[in-house]
Amino acid sequence: MKKLSIVFLVSAVSTFWFAGCSKEPLNHLTAEETRIYVTNYDSVANFSAYKTYSIADSVAVIDNGQHSRALSASDQAYIDAVNKYMQQRGYVLTTANASPDLGLTVNRIYNTATSVVTYNDYYDTYYGSYWDPYYWGYGGYGYYVPYGYSVYQVTEGAVSVDMLDLKNAKSTGKIGLVWNGLVRGEGIFAESNANAQVKALFDQSSYLKANN
Amino acid sequence: MHIFSAILFAAITFSAQAQNQGKAILSLGYNYSLPTGAFKSDLISNGSARGFTGDLMFTINHKWSVGLGFGFQDYYQKYPRAIYPTGNHEETSAVLSNSIQALPVIAKGTFMPLAGKAGLVQPYITAGAGLSFVSFRQYLGAFGNVSSSASFAAQGGAGVIIPFKKNSATGINIGADYNYVRYQHFGYSNLNNLSFHAGVHFPLK
Repeated sequence: MKKLSIVFLVSAVSTFWFAGCSKEPLNHLTAEETRIYVTNYDSVANFSAYKTYSIADSVAVIDNGQHSRALSASDQAYIDAVNKYMQQRGYVLTTANASPDLGLTVNRIYNTATSVVTYNDYYDTYYGSYWDPYYWGYGGYGYYVPYGYSVYQVTEGAVSVDMLDLKNAKSTGKIGLVWNGLVRGEGIFAESNANAQVKALFDQSSYLKANN
Repeated sequence: MHIFSAILFAAITFSAQAQNQGKAILSLGYNYSLPTGAFKSDLISNGSARGFTGDLMFTINHKWSVGLGFGFQDYYQKYPRAIYPTGNHEETSAVLSNSIQALPVIAKGTFMPLAGKAGLVQPYITAGAGLSFVSFRQYLGAFGNVSSSASFAAQGGAGVIIPFKKNSATGINIGADYNYVRYQHFGYSNLNNLSFHAGVHFPLK
């Protein structure tokens, strides 16, 4: 019987050890791998028909619906990168009052979600094993929580680059958004990453090309 | 589902009889799983070395036993950055990660053709059907979706039991199973796989 117990114990421990080796996907991503680059375009837009563009000299910061303008080193790096890749595609930079065909903006977007942690959930005697009162040397005691919950917030950010059709604004009576690039993930607001993020957006948008 | 119901009913019936007539035998083992077919081509091409399997069987006679098989397998694969169409005119460049955890619970029967005859190695064949509880997480970069479901599963397999000593009911169990797991979510069709297991086999009483 003792031999049987040892066999059972060894096999159970070893098999459940393997089960405990599940791979958590988020723990196996580098900061670069966490990032996603999303591009959208207007299918009726003819990107080769645009020649000139202008870009806003600061960045719109959209924080839970509140708008402001900013120009940090990272913001400037994004604007510089957009200029670089627009010009590589043959578009010519001009000023906003020189009737550019395209208008470009860079935007920082923050969304803050609020959640609640309920203390009663893990100090309730039903969940007592979470922090069993024995741990404190008071086995058999119950917890008393005079307040029920606490609020915490998680903020998630994104950088977007928007391309607006100014060339056809008068004829259509509206300023159409013809292209949008969005970057999400770790480290996107770092100045050193700006060029690579914008390059990735342009790399997957081969249709962005002026016909000079 | 009719086949599953019939097998489950038979297993429960035989199990009830067997508890009075036979022995309860537990097998526990390490399990390696190789995705096949659409599971391999669409979701996970890597083999999974993170799993275990177990059977609790009740003998009907010296050749037949019925009972429940259970287990756990963790599948994971990270694909290099690529561009995926994610909307009408939307494309997303991302590293794609698929993570699947499967917990099968199978009503099964086992036949040992040489049981009762002299010889060290006892071959067996096994078949069963049941449910596989599947948790599927798919991430584009750090952004993911989670889906949990129970899917029909069927299993057929073969293996050998090598007793630790002659006439011992305790031994090593080595075998392979083909697992059909129907999984029709997000446009996928199945999680079929070939699994190999090795472990111990011993009576509980």
